Amino acid sequence: MAELELKAIQRRVTAGANHRKLIAAAEAGQPVCVASAGIPNEVMHAMGVYAIYPESLAAISAGIGKAEAFFDEAKDRGLSSTICSYTRCGLGICWTSETAFGPIPRPTISITDVNMCSLHQTWWSYLEDHFTLPTFYMDMPSTDDPGAPEYIDYYESQIRQMVTFIERNTPCRFEQERLDESLRNSDRAGHHWKQLMELRRHRPSPISFRALAGQVLPLVTSLGEQDAADFYEALYERYVQDAKEGKTPARDGERYRLIWNGIPIWHHLQIIDYFEEKGANFVWEPYTSLNWGNKTSTGRLDLHRPFHTMAEKYTNVFTNKPIAKRFEYFDQAIRDYAVDGLVMFSNRSCRPMSLGQQELIELITARHDLPVLIFEGDQADPEGFSWADARMRIDGFIEILEGRKK
Amino acid sequence: MTNAIAGFRERFETRHERARALVQRGKKIVACFYGLAPKELVHAAGMVPVQLVEDRDSRYEAKSGLLPYMCGMSKNLAGQIASSVLDYVDGVMVSTVCDTNRHMLDIWVHQRAFPNHWLVRTPAKKDEGAIDYFTKELRRLAAELGRVSGQPVADDNLRESIALFNENRDLFRRFYETRPTAGISAEDAVYVFASALTTPVEEHNALLRQLLASLPPGEPKSPPKLMLSALNIPMSLDVIRMAEKYGATVVTDDFIRNARYGSADVPTDGDPFRALARGYLRTVPAPGMYPLEDRANGIRDAMSRAGAEGLIYLVQLYCDAYAFEYAVLKERFERWKLPHLKLEAEATPGSIEQLNVRVQSFIESLV
Repeated sequence: MAELELKAIQRRVTAGANHRKLIAAAEAGQPVCVASAGIPNEVMHAMGVYAIYPESLAAISAGIGKAEAFFDEAKDRGLSSTICSYTRCGLGICWTSETAFGPIPRPTISITDVNMCSLHQTWWSYLEDHFTLPTFYMDMPSTDDPGAPEYIDYYESQIRQMVTFIERNTPCRFEQERLDESLRNSDRAGHHWKQLMELRRHRPSPISFRALAGQVLPLVTSLGEQDAADFYEALYERYVQDAKEGKTPARDGERYRLIWNGIPIWHHLQIIDYFEEKGANFVWEPYTSLNWGNKTSTGRLDLHRPFHTMAEKYTNVFTNKPIAKRFEYFDQAIRDYAVDGLVMFSNRSCRPMSLGQQELIELITARHDLPVLIFEGDQADPEGFSWADARMRIDGFIEILEGRKK
Repeated sequence: MTNAIAGFRERFETRHERARALVQRGKKIVACFYGLAPKELVHAAGMVPVQLVEDRDSRYEAKSGLLPYMCGMSKNLAGQIASSVLDYVDGVMVSTVCDTNRHMLDIWVHQRAFPNHWLVRTPAKKDEGAIDYFTKELRRLAAELGRVSGQPVADDNLRESIALFNENRDLFRRFYETRPTAGISAEDAVYVFASALTTPVEEHNALLRQLLASLPPGEPKSPPKLMLSALNIPMSLDVIRMAEKYGATVVTDDFIRNARYGSADVPTDGDPFRALARGYLRTVPAPGMYPLEDRANGIRDAMSRAGAEGLIYLVQLYCDAYAFEYAVLKERFERWKLPHLKLEAEATPGSIEQLNVRVQSFIESLV
């Protein structure tokens, strides 16, 4: 696939393109849903519902330095700055009806999960209350065993109820054929994403975590669309070619292979660039490898059991697994990806990702003689973050890595 | 009456020693992390449920090993565990009210902090599908509890336990009806409910009956009268003292955990496991777990019943659940012109002391 063709496809799945589709859909009378990341958007796509994703928009706003107005709005309305920055920024977007790409239309409905993060429940309750939006909660009880069959079955019932909710509150109607097509596209996108992750085993890895932080977007917002599937297929082919040519984002060659744990620091993505300038390349992250793509046991969606396969995929939440299980993923990745060190992002905003991180580090360092750098900060709110301090710490970490190479 | 009041406070303050004495008499103790763990189930398995509550001891935070941006409650409990204060506990049962309390369990499992660890897999809804799911979950937990205690949870045992806890709820409702005009201080009233968290229910029921039978009418309370909404007990006591120092009276309070006892009874008809499921799903006014309209109305109605003219809403720093709930409730409070003051502080006397001027100004604004 030619580079030009990849760029042409990519232009159809960018955040800006999504925004234009959303506006066009709203103008055509299509329903608009305020949706949390991690709900089955294959269903929404199949039923013709267009979504606003506040968390995704918060990350993008932070990434391009346009989140401050939303944080200010949240502060004015009484939200403490200790509350998750996605929540504050996402609510700021809803209150102001503005995004970095322009105004958003008045939503028709809202849908959220309730387990990936317990703030979602209050957040969407607020949207339901404040904007008087019909709201559906994808119930997913707290669990430490997300693979339990009865748990997956219960979530399957929630997906079916989601369909009923959409039919009751919008003119959209469910058609099995459209869901089948949506799932085929989702499966193809998720499959190629998984292959991309596998490709990073290659030495050098041709893929930059900074690029992935942007390339993950269609998995969050556009699953079910053919464009998203085409994009990941083309992207995979591009990176295969790069791997063959020995390309790597690490300057002067890939000298250190690293793991990043946590959400990217959206307001200072240049941190990743700085690592790459120093010859370090991130080759595995739970955020990219375990949060997105086909998270089923086979790595593919079972197109013969559409609701069940979505339930299996969406209940497979990394942070709902015990620390011992989370360690197994790291242990395997450290071996498979020939890792030299780890960077752990201690994220003030995200309790599920940060609680247990210290225990994880203890398990990892007990088995693997690897250096660990811990950053404390926030995923989207730059308050209190010092770029100079971050660079100094990265420099020190690189020195340690270099010392171990000698 | 004085003896009855002293009994609540004494039980709360000696809760660890009392729990150890129970263990010596052959009882097993199950720690419940927050108020949504179904204590009836623990009781029906022949064990004593005690709620994990914060102790004011500055050494605990240093021993917690937790990240600085975790709430004081989680750090305090982690410190208690590290200091072996909870060495009498046979198991912990965590029921999610926030991400921190949910994921503290992961750390405890990793540390093997207790001999047994259970996560209550509670649905967020209350439709028939959710009740079916939760009924099965309660049966799963009952089987595990029975394995630990050696006393399987029989239907009749569970019915008896539900009746005992319903009696506790009923006594609490009566206490809160009487409290605004009764001769009991706000500080003492906190111990009435706090002791319920850590005292065997039979014993607490007897104490409450004794209190209600002997509670005299009090002197008229000095205005302005306040309601306190809070989570952390030592912080609340500090704020009550501060408000009283500036001439106000806290005539009622709103803690997740007393609301638990005062909210609707668990149904007593039919399958007791199903009744327990119906009794717990979305009936407890905890942040995020309860309809916002009902939560706001509940606060306003409680203030009205108690004659409270203002509300202090106390948030422990880094408590997402309360901090977020406040922002939601605030819109209604402002619409209703309900005088309120949000305080956000760490759970230390120094941090609370810094709220001095704000509390004084709020009280003066009500006079």
